[in-house]
Amino acid sequence: MENKNLVINNRIIGKDLVRYFILLYWILFWLLNVIDKIIGGAHFLFVGKDRFAQVERFFDSLGLGNPIIANVALIITAGLEIFALVFFSGALYHFIKKNIDSARSWFFIGIVLTLTTFTYFSLGDQVFGDHFELLEHGLFWFITLLSWIIFIRIDKIQIFDNFSIGKKQFFVSAVFTIVITATTTFAIFWHNHSSFIERTQAVDAIKITENKYKIKFPFLAGSKAFENSIAKFKEDNPSLSINYIYTAPTPLRLAESDGLIIYIQTDSIK
Amino acid sequence: MKEKKLIQYFILIYWTFFGALTVIDKIIPDVYPYWVGADFYTLFIKFFASLGLTDPIFATIALAGISTLEIVAFVCYLFSLFNLYKGKDKISEQWFYRGVSFSVLLFSLFSIGDQVFGDRFNLLEHGIFWIILVVSWVVYKYNSLIEERLIKFSFTKDIKIGVLVGTLLTIITSYSILDFSKSTSSNKTLPVRGEEVVQGVYKFDFPFLGDKFVWENTIKAFEDKHPELKITYVYTGPDELNSKKKTHMLLYIFTEQNDLKN
Repeated sequence: MENKNLVINNRIIGKDLVRYFILLYWILFWLLNVIDKIIGGAHFLFVGKDRFAQVERFFDSLGLGNPIIANVALIITAGLEIFALVFFSGALYHFIKKNIDSARSWFFIGIVLTLTTFTYFSLGDQVFGDHFELLEHGLFWFITLLSWIIFIRIDKIQIFDNFSIGKKQFFVSAVFTIVITATTTFAIFWHNHSSFIERTQAVDAIKITENKYKIKFPFLAGSKAFENSIAKFKEDNPSLSINYIYTAPTPLRLAESDGLIIYIQTDSIK
Repeated sequence: MKEKKLIQYFILIYWTFFGALTVIDKIIPDVYPYWVGADFYTLFIKFFASLGLTDPIFATIALAGISTLEIVAFVCYLFSLFNLYKGKDKISEQWFYRGVSFSVLLFSLFSIGDQVFGDRFNLLEHGIFWIILVVSWVVYKYNSLIEERLIKFSFTKDIKIGVLVGTLLTIITSYSILDFSKSTSSNKTLPVRGEEVVQGVYKFDFPFLGDKFVWENTIKAFEDKHPELKITYVYTGPDELNSKKKTHMLLYIFTEQNDLKN
């Protein structure tokens, strides 16, 4: 019955495309998670998430500071993720080979492993008291469940089978796309040309009281801009020493239009 | 076992444990060994205080009322799971429906509260859980109406290859995790080396494992290494200065020449 529903033919190309996207999404999702476990720490071209530090800190907060516990938890997680990756990859292989029944079986095991992983994560999030992660893992649990339902039920959904576009509409949409792309690309490159310097450039301090100065950083400013600004301030004010820096908290900034603002308090050098 | 049944088990296990841990979190209100949880009591006290209701009786009654609803929902999920295990599918479905109804009511109350208290992040969280719950019920119910398919899993050649590849990858990843743990666990205590970025100003790029002990050891090591300097100010670099996820914490130490020792 289900095999009939999943029969590949030209008329349901759109539905197959959805299935391919679901499979590719989960393969890439778990592949990158596994790579993140193999490559610990931040490296050139791969930052990822330092799961070891995160899990170690979680267990430490429970009073379990021995790193072996975090290691075991991470290895169990990695095992679940790797087998989910293998089964989703197998599902894709069978789907390409038109072994629809096998593809479904492999996909189902991948879904079971993924649901297990997110259930296990959600339990941990509640024990560790991290409700942001609980929301994240709850959402992924939900996406997994929906992926399964859509994968097996897509044949019940009516999708148009004609992907062709009329000549006039194609021409107008192409021109429209090219014009907007050109404008956007120019704006991006122009902004890069004029603003990238802000990443490191020193910012001038504005005197606001006798011994207090304000430095308002642009959004792009990084740690180098901060250091260069401090160096410039010291150079411009050799008779002053910095005795306190106050970082303006978010409520003092103008919604999304203010970047980092610091206030420098000084003493005169005796 | 049928596929639909296993999916139903997953749905019920998820919500049963969700309910159980939420209730435990209310019973254990603080941080203890093996349990951290979220401090709902403090949260409620602050929420009600923001409304001008500073008497703790309001927060306590609200928390007790919410907890009662959570307990009822948890019991419904537990009975649903038990009945599913016993093969009483119809009764299981009824208990799940009751549990979902109580949870939907709970998340609706939370969402109303979030709007009154002006907490938009919690409103998002509760809204998302509300829809996950409703869709869980739809999947539980309608997934079982349409088809009956047995889980087909036998150790065929391709499954054996898959298991072998999975095992090999797990061994490689485990080795990598253990190796990384061994090489970085010292970051939990070792002092961080500073770099003089401006004359008299030193920058310390803390590793992800670095915590308060690392900070203390870093200051001590710095003072030992630079007896000629006096720390006048310590500044924690705000997140805006970090390179997104690559930087854990930046610390700046401002110094002056130590006149006493010179």
